[in-house]
Amino acid sequence: MKTTGALIFGYNDYAYEIAKNIAYKYDDVRIFKLEEENLKSNKNGFKIEKYDLSDEWDELKENFDMKNCIAFCVLDDDAENIFLTLSLRSSFEDLSIIALSKNKESANKLTMAGANKVIPIVQTTAGIIGDMLNKPIVTEVLHNILYDKSDLKIAQIQVNDAECFEGKYPADIEWSRDHGIIVLSVMHKDMSSEFIYSSKAKHHIIKKDDIFIVVGYEKEIKDFEKLIGGNLCQ
Amino acid sequence: MSFFKRLIVNGAYYINTSDAYQKKKTFFYNLLENDTYSYKKYFDLVMITLVFISVAILIREVKSHVNDYLLVFNNIIISIIFLIEYLLRLWISSSVTQVIINQSENDDLLGKKFNLLRAFAEIVRIKFQYIRSFRAIIDLLAVIPFFHQFRLLRIFILFRVFKLFRYARSLQMFISILATKKFEFLTIMIFALIVIAISSILIYVMEANNPNSPIDTLYEAVYWSIVTISTVGYGDITAVTDAGRFVAMGVIIAGIAVLAFTTSIVVSAFTEKIDDIKVTKSIDDLEKLKNIYIICGYENISKEVAKILVGANNKVIVLDEDAQRAKNALEDGLSAFNYDPGSVESYKKLRIDIDTQVKAVLCLRESDVENVYTILTVRSIHKEVFILSLLMNEIHRKKMSFAGANEILYTKQLVGMIAREFVGQPVAFEVIHALMSEYSNIDIEEIVVTQRMLNNFVMVKELNNAKYRVVLLGIYKKNTKRFFFNPLDDSILEEGDFLLVVGNSVFIKEFEKYLYKKTIV
Repeated sequence: MKTTGALIFGYNDYAYEIAKNIAYKYDDVRIFKLEEENLKSNKNGFKIEKYDLSDEWDELKENFDMKNCIAFCVLDDDAENIFLTLSLRSSFEDLSIIALSKNKESANKLTMAGANKVIPIVQTTAGIIGDMLNKPIVTEVLHNILYDKSDLKIAQIQVNDAECFEGKYPADIEWSRDHGIIVLSVMHKDMSSEFIYSSKAKHHIIKKDDIFIVVGYEKEIKDFEKLIGGNLCQ
Repeated sequence: MSFFKRLIVNGAYYINTSDAYQKKKTFFYNLLENDTYSYKKYFDLVMITLVFISVAILIREVKSHVNDYLLVFNNIIISIIFLIEYLLRLWISSSVTQVIINQSENDDLLGKKFNLLRAFAEIVRIKFQYIRSFRAIIDLLAVIPFFHQFRLLRIFILFRVFKLFRYARSLQMFISILATKKFEFLTIMIFALIVIAISSILIYVMEANNPNSPIDTLYEAVYWSIVTISTVGYGDITAVTDAGRFVAMGVIIAGIAVLAFTTSIVVSAFTEKIDDIKVTKSIDDLEKLKNIYIICGYENISKEVAKILVGANNKVIVLDEDAQRAKNALEDGLSAFNYDPGSVESYKKLRIDIDTQVKAVLCLRESDVENVYTILTVRSIHKEVFILSLLMNEIHRKKMSFAGANEILYTKQLVGMIAREFVGQPVAFEVIHALMSEYSNIDIEEIVVTQRMLNNFVMVKELNNAKYRVVLLGIYKKNTKRFFFNPLDDSILEEGDFLLVVGNSVFIKEFEKYLYKKTIV
């Protein structure tokens, strides 16, 4: 039976850190290594397999439901990483591919090669350092929210029942007073995201299938989820 | 030891250990010699003004009557001021008491009787060493116009102009640059002197007996040679004989060579020193800066960090022991120094006061060993300054923390956390990153609550942020270092709190203005 999993290409510290962080979500996290040596060594409990840069992905096709898998391309060499991304994309159209790049130039190439998300290491690290120095409090608060270091959570909640809003606009509702949460933005069906006070969001009546990005404590978020899920309205 | 000798040694010890004496001596040393002392520039300015006044009076005196008070001021007051300055410089140039103490301790150690004469001889030697220095001679000559009865001595006022070299650092720099080419200047000068000597004698021999020639004496021959070799060529004295003109041609050619060589020596001296001049200027400029970020190492991440910090109007300086990397930073428009950030000496040379001038030290070398070394160096200079460091290998985290880094950034862990958030809540992840990104219109800012703001706003409900289309995410209480999400309407604001607001950057600015400007109704 085909399984969903996380496929990490590259045998380095990045691969290990990624594997460690996403293990909670995937049953099968596999690290793929280019070279054959030390294949049996199971680094920190993750399965390690060999692969090469040819387009022979039959084994993956047999074992994984590639549509629902996620692939991380974290090879040390940017050129090989781009080559790998191209190879994966040409074989699996629906696979989510996240790739690491050392600089912006490679980041653009990786996007062109078909990566869904590219993390330029240098720019990302520099950006975080800049934020830590320029906006230390904002960075600390958001970091804690994003990486589960505080009770505050950020969540995306889909509106299943818009009746309770009775054709209201997002900016008209007292989210914080009425629901104890703060709505940052609204995502529409077409996946475009709008800040709650933007002029576009101000003229958008809340509809079914809109997604709210909310910040709040777990209880309030769950209550709100119930509300827009229709349970409380009914 | 005789009573007199004991008295002198005890006196020396007393003076040398006297706080009041040392304080005064340090004060005068700073005032006269320490370029980093803030009041020195005012002292120098006063002295420069006195020099100019002196020269102005001298010029005025040539053809006009000068008020007696001004003459007294010039000849007596200014001279006395210069005399006092001269004596102070003589005093601080070396320590008399230290010489006596050293002699006494030396003799004591060797089991000899204290040799007072030798101590005095040493004092005279070191003081005389100062007195015969070029600067001290100029200082002394500048005092001479005090003896105004001797009219000729008034010309010594012009020596006061030379004193400007002491007060103006740019002039000192000019001299020091030229001094680096001492040997070349000496060579060209010897060459010129030989040409002058030979040509003077030759022209004298050729022309002196010719009744049509204006050259009659050796003095006139030397004058002609100097005027010709310098390529000035007044034409008041010229060679009239064929032999004399032949000599003249030789002197003219030699003159062009001397001038060209001299010019090229001056230019090359400045070209070679131009980088040093720039560094000196940059170090001088550093003294005026506050809230500096020191970036140690200029590699990939540091380049990006520097860009971000400069973009946010922060003052950044880069230290890198690698000349090429420091040059790269300079080319990127940063204030960069080719100094090792891991050396205490570098910070001394830069004259940076970490306590008052530095906001944070960023150790961004892509080497844990280098970063740990720099952290330890900075920590040894200052215990409190904020240090952020990159970590390349997790196994070194403990060492880095132990060395004294306040914040450690491990890129690999960061990527892991980003991956975690991305697979877990991709939309939320994008929203947060859009908020932090400078490329989106929506921004998240921290607004500090000031006393001025508190005059108008006491509670959260009074802020009226919704009117400005700004979301108040929460309040960060600086005292307790706690973040209060979605504060209640009746939450009390306190000075030093931070309001975390989300919104369009323009609206946030408007909201901030409103908070500061709102007048009491």
